[in-house]
Amino acid sequence: MEHLLEIINPHFLLRNAFYAGLIVGFVCPQVGIFFVLRRMVLLGIALPQVSNAGIAFAFLLHTIGWHFFPHMESEKTMALTGSVIFALIAIFTLAILERKRKGFTENRIGFTYVLAGAVSILFVSWNPYGQTEVLSMIRGEIVSIPDFYLWSMLVIYGTIFICLVGFHRNFVLVSYDTDMAITLGKQVILWDIMLYLIIGIVISFGVMTVGPLVIFGFLLIPPVAARMVVRGILPFCIVSSIIGTTASFIGFYISYRYDLPTGPTDVALLCVILIILYLGKLCVRLKRKN
Amino acid sequence: MNTDNCITLENVAIGYSGKVLLKDINFSLKVGEFVVLFGPNGSGKTTLFKTILRIIPLIQGAIRYGDGHPTRFGYVPQRQYLDEIYPFTTEEVVLMGTFGQAKPFCPTPKTNRVWIEQCLKDVGMLDMRKKLFSELSGGQKQRILIARALATRPNVLLLDEPITGVDIIAQKKIIELISELHKKRQLTIMMVTHEVQHIPSWVNKIIHIHHNKVVLGSLEEIISLSTIDEIPT
Repeated sequence: MEHLLEIINPHFLLRNAFYAGLIVGFVCPQVGIFFVLRRMVLLGIALPQVSNAGIAFAFLLHTIGWHFFPHMESEKTMALTGSVIFALIAIFTLAILERKRKGFTENRIGFTYVLAGAVSILFVSWNPYGQTEVLSMIRGEIVSIPDFYLWSMLVIYGTIFICLVGFHRNFVLVSYDTDMAITLGKQVILWDIMLYLIIGIVISFGVMTVGPLVIFGFLLIPPVAARMVVRGILPFCIVSSIIGTTASFIGFYISYRYDLPTGPTDVALLCVILIILYLGKLCVRLKRKN
Repeated sequence: MNTDNCITLENVAIGYSGKVLLKDINFSLKVGEFVVLFGPNGSGKTTLFKTILRIIPLIQGAIRYGDGHPTRFGYVPQRQYLDEIYPFTTEEVVLMGTFGQAKPFCPTPKTNRVWIEQCLKDVGMLDMRKKLFSELSGGQKQRILIARALATRPNVLLLDEPITGVDIIAQKKIIELISELHKKRQLTIMMVTHEVQHIPSWVNKIIHIHHNKVVLGSLEEIISLSTIDEIPT
């Protein structure tokens, strides 16, 4: 109880990490819903890896004296820019190839994943300075998040959440039945581009904050768990975010209480929630049969 | 029956990626008509259907809609193309029909809720409104998709293979439902099928895709052409 009160205290030392985790836990499942429903889960693994490569590349450029913006030399800004650019290039290339039906989706995503993983390591190994710093950022510096970064995250994720809620009907319709969407006069390509942009930004920003593993966990597990227990798309969206936020809150508490790394604790907790819900559903089914 | 044309195809060529599948297509649909688009599997029925719906672009020619009156389509797709991973209730599926007029950031208006209730009632599925769409039988799903098409408040209803893959009783019920809607709502209906026995005897027009040609014919002519095709040479 003492630890819990400490965490929710506004003057808590690691409050930014705590708040950032809650934001990720709340917003990422809303994006993850589309990964699960559009059967793009593999893309959810590949894209954070691509973002990673972008971060490593940006660091490499920064180290050798190249800067994306002459007056913005902050490493974090460079890393975020690299992450966003790489993620957006990857997602749009994959989307175009998907639309043109070139080859198999799994092959393309698998290729993207290994390529991104390999170049991330190469970029880090070519970086003559600060390998440790780069590696810590790629793993996700969930502990030390500056105020400015937290506020930026709140604004970006908040805007994305508002867009997802406001345009929910269009995103769902375009994902579920493209032909119907066209007959209703919807600009399918426009909505697809918007959704991909949202996915790219959420992943890039999330990878910088909590790392690729945690982002993938929050994108995938809450919607998969929620889908098992709800009926209807609206409860599905609400329960996904509740699971994400709860896991983030309890995960932070456990990691702080027992001195564990926060990201992996969150993901492990999400898996436990998923298993509990699955077993619960199984019990209900058996009870109904008897 | 009104004699105004609601859809007119003039020298139309259709296909994918510039590759022509069918050409020299000329026919029109009159307001209130019940038309069947018939042809074997792979003959280009769905491509023609989707071209009329503006889902696939035209390669050549022109399609005129409405003769001055706006044409609103109610589209019933082949149900197997809709992914069952989506946890939609039947009510939510029907509600999609109203998304054309829905404003972003606004909750669903009460009038729309009342309207989809009416659509569910019209297809005899009101008591299934809270059931998951994925839990329904083939025939029930088809009824829900018809209700979704009705929710768009269409003047033209287009159905892609609505009775394929459902049992005989469900087939009969769906045909009765479509016929009832045609009469009650004065809808222009175009139905795609690849089985001659699915064509109701009372249809106004049959568009037959036969050996890469689009021809108009009566049910008797279609049956005789289909029979000739079945005779081994």
